[in-house]
Amino acid sequence: MSVPTEHLLALAAILFAIGVAGFFTRRNLIVVLMSIELMLNAANLTLVAGSRLHSSTGAVQVDGPILVIFIIAVAAVEAAVGLALVIALYRQKQTVSLDAFARLED
Amino acid sequence: MVNLLFYAAALVAVLTAAGVVLARNPVVSVVSLLSCFGSLAVIYLLAGFQFLAAIQILVYGGAIMVLFLFVVMLLNLGGLSPEAEDRDAPLFHDRRRSAGGLAVAVALGSASLIGILRGARHLTEPTNGFVLPDEGYDALPALAEAMFTRYSLPFEAASVLLLATTVGVMVLAKRQRSVPPAGEERP
Repeated sequence: MSVPTEHLLALAAILFAIGVAGFFTRRNLIVVLMSIELMLNAANLTLVAGSRLHSSTGAVQVDGPILVIFIIAVAAVEAAVGLALVIALYRQKQTVSLDAFARLED
Repeated sequence: MVNLLFYAAALVAVLTAAGVVLARNPVVSVVSLLSCFGSLAVIYLLAGFQFLAAIQILVYGGAIMVLFLFVVMLLNLGGLSPEAEDRDAPLFHDRRRSAGGLAVAVALGSASLIGILRGARHLTEPTNGFVLPDEGYDALPALAEAMFTRYSLPFEAASVLLLATTVGVMVLAKRQRSVPPAGEERP
């Protein structure tokens, strides 16, 4: 594949922007968590693009793929904790709308 | 031909990502995000990262998205009435907040796109045009060697993080019994 690096980076930027839009506009807690996953994937795509650029000029660099693996592990952790929190909050209010959790005291 | 496949996968990724944000029904969002991750796996494969493509399918598609789908079905969010879905996901109801979020996203996206396209001529693309090594850019022997030598501390930290998460999530999701507050006598 001889796609220039900037096209990969542009795709990552678009995906990240879509994730930011979902994060700020949606009120459904689960969709907000999915938007965060989308942003993490955009970051992964950026790392892949950079790793490809630097590997193809000489020796293969594995720092990018390793960082991607760690990000995927942390994303799995984040999803598990976030969804457990969603379940705990749903027990309190019977809803997953963020508007119901705007006040800290109740 | 391979480039065409990349642009097709990129188009699918962008469309399904938009579907995640725009869909009213959370189940549609989950399936849409799953296809987005699938097309990203195709892109990784085309770029020469076979192992990352496999991990993307296995961990994201197989584990994380199933977790999301499981919670959506556990909380029975898919079968809400249209009014309840509007109340839960009022993308176009609170127009002020939606406009603010969209403005932030558009500003961020266009700023980074302009930066990428302006900075692209400073990138030194390889003159031989990305000749793929046989084993790809993430060959497992090289990956494993780096993982267990230079990156052994983050590796161990990740295992501790996973253990802490397992315990923490079990405590969080456990059904709480009605315990009287501390200091009060149990009647």
